[in-house]
Amino acid sequence: MILNRRLILLATPRQIGVLDWRPGHMHWLGEFTHSAKGLADFRQMVIKHAGLPILLVADTVDEDYRSEVLPHVKGRARDELLSRKLKQVFRNARFLGAWRQERETTGRRDDRYLLAAFADADWLTPWLSVLHRERVPLSGITPLALACQYLLDRLRVHEPHTLLVFRLSHGLRLSYYQNGLLRFSRLIGGDTPTQLPGNAADDIAKTQLYLTGQRILPREARLHVLLFDPSGQLDSAQAQLNADPAFSTRLLDIPSLARALRIPDDFLLATPQIAPLAAIAGEALQLNLAPPELLQHHTEFRWRRALHAAAAGIALLGLGVTAAYWLSAQDMNAQAQQLSQQQQQLDRRHRAIAQTFPAQAAAPEQLAQTVTLARQLDARQPDIHALLAVIGQALQTAPEIVLENLSWTDNTLTAAGVVQLTLDAAVTPFDGNYRAAMQRIERFMHTLQAVPAVEAVSLRSSPVNADSNSTLSGKTFDANPDAAPDARFSLSLTYRESGRREVRP
Amino acid sequence: MKHPPFPALKLPLLLVLVALLLALLGALWSRGQAQDAAQALQLQNSALNGARQQLDRSRQQQQLIATHLAAYQALAARGFVGAEDRLAWIEAAQQANRDAGLYGLDYRLTPRTSSLSALAQGLPLGQTTMTLTLPLLVETDLMRFLAALKARAPGVYRLQGCALSRLNDAKFASANQPQLQAECELQWFTVAEHTVAAKKGGRP
Repeated sequence: MILNRRLILLATPRQIGVLDWRPGHMHWLGEFTHSAKGLADFRQMVIKHAGLPILLVADTVDEDYRSEVLPHVKGRARDELLSRKLKQVFRNARFLGAWRQERETTGRRDDRYLLAAFADADWLTPWLSVLHRERVPLSGITPLALACQYLLDRLRVHEPHTLLVFRLSHGLRLSYYQNGLLRFSRLIGGDTPTQLPGNAADDIAKTQLYLTGQRILPREARLHVLLFDPSGQLDSAQAQLNADPAFSTRLLDIPSLARALRIPDDFLLATPQIAPLAAIAGEALQLNLAPPELLQHHTEFRWRRALHAAAAGIALLGLGVTAAYWLSAQDMNAQAQQLSQQQQQLDRRHRAIAQTFPAQAAAPEQLAQTVTLARQLDARQPDIHALLAVIGQALQTAPEIVLENLSWTDNTLTAAGVVQLTLDAAVTPFDGNYRAAMQRIERFMHTLQAVPAVEAVSLRSSPVNADSNSTLSGKTFDANPDAAPDARFSLSLTYRESGRREVRP
Repeated sequence: MKHPPFPALKLPLLLVLVALLLALLGALWSRGQAQDAAQALQLQNSALNGARQQLDRSRQQQQLIATHLAAYQALAARGFVGAEDRLAWIEAAQQANRDAGLYGLDYRLTPRTSSLSALAQGLPLGQTTMTLTLPLLVETDLMRFLAALKARAPGVYRLQGCALSRLNDAKFASANQPQLQAECELQWFTVAEHTVAAKKGGRP
């Protein structure tokens, strides 16, 4: 809000008034007369409010308005067109400007412009010199009639043809607005005989005739006249005008105006001239009569303000990002601190448990593993007694088989999980009948095979090798069995204890 | 505002640059702080998980110790853990021979070798082969000897196998002199204590 603060000057040939304005607040700084002292005081005031942009609203008799319809062009072409037109219309006027008010809805759809100028504005020069010397950012110079247009907006006046009659100390201003847009305005100076109500009504009627004659106001149009005069001198003109059906007159009172402008009644009553200033203060300027060289400081001011805003924005953004990161870091640090405390608690509990471990023992896992391994190794070993009993029982069923050697190997710790036996024996007595001996051996093997714990029985070597691929030699024997050689053979057995579970690592 | 009046805007432009610089510095600094904090938080999180796992492991270890310590100490007392006590093994064999009332025996101990990894399961398990040769009167003498040895054995062993044969190529028959000879092979198992102790250093 403070960025929108500005000074609004109401300049007349006699004096200049200053309104210190910002949204929702305003302060009348007083008036400065067109004299050496007035200029000096004005300069002091400007210095005191250095840096604030200024809008100058001029109220002068020497103003000229011209409504023009021009082809619709844009950009540089429009600038050049308007420049030529303004020079053509106003010739040597220094303060001039154009306002593109609306676009025609028919035909070529041309643009309607209001051209305005101050024909003689030398009286402004001393004030502008002060502003220029103090490098004041002058945002623009505009006629009072334009400020009054915003006053109508605030009053919500929607009549198509409105004539605002505004009496100030230095004269009577009559401004005509068509559809809310300024079309014409004139100031009748204070030295003219308008003090009488009848003269005011005559001036209004003459103005209506002029507007009709210039075809600014349509002939059949009824003119809505708004009278504003804090001194009340225009009150009697209302009845006189309303007697004419061409007019519809209404008086503006201080309370309704103050309410529309949202300013105190007494403030408006004390300084009624601030009404149009307060109305235009917050608006964008549509008709600027200031030459470009006078706006240079304001251009700089706008750039400076934009850059300051950018710097502030960047700083705020940086501050925001920094704060966000920093707060995030603080949050994570707090979380880390909390986790650290939890870790310390867990470490303390771990140490308390570790202190209960016996110092001389192995690592607990190795300890358990060692015990498990020892149990595996210590597990029940093959029952040798049962193993030998199996062999013994088989031998009892075959008395002609004589055991010579017996060996076994325990493979229960290996993947096989069995006991391997080797049995060397002989058939006794042997009479040289190998066929009979082999039959006995086979019966013996069948006997062993019938034992459930014996998985397999195989003949490793037999008394005779009848294989076709080998040489077989020998001799026949007589009836004396002592002379016959032994019929030795060797068996291999795979033994697994019934119901025994393999013990595997 | 088409052409900015640069000469009059030196200070504001400088201000924008300074603001930009400060904003960048602030953002970079705070971003670094946030990254450091995030890294520290991640590390702390990992440390906390590690501490949780360590605590769980110590509880499991406590349970293991409570379950197996007595058995382990008993094994250590038997000589399964630690250096080989070959003299004790020999004494056990001799004593078993005497207990069985046999006729003496011959023994032979081979150097200690490492057991198969499938059997050792990562432990420094070693095995020593003891070969016993003893004369027998009857086959049941061997059973009695083995039972006596089992009762006397100070460590962990397994009977790997035996070979029974007749002496002097005699027939199996009853006599007052030993007619049989048994040659048995035993595997004595030990877990090297120094290696276990070395691993104790790795315990948390």
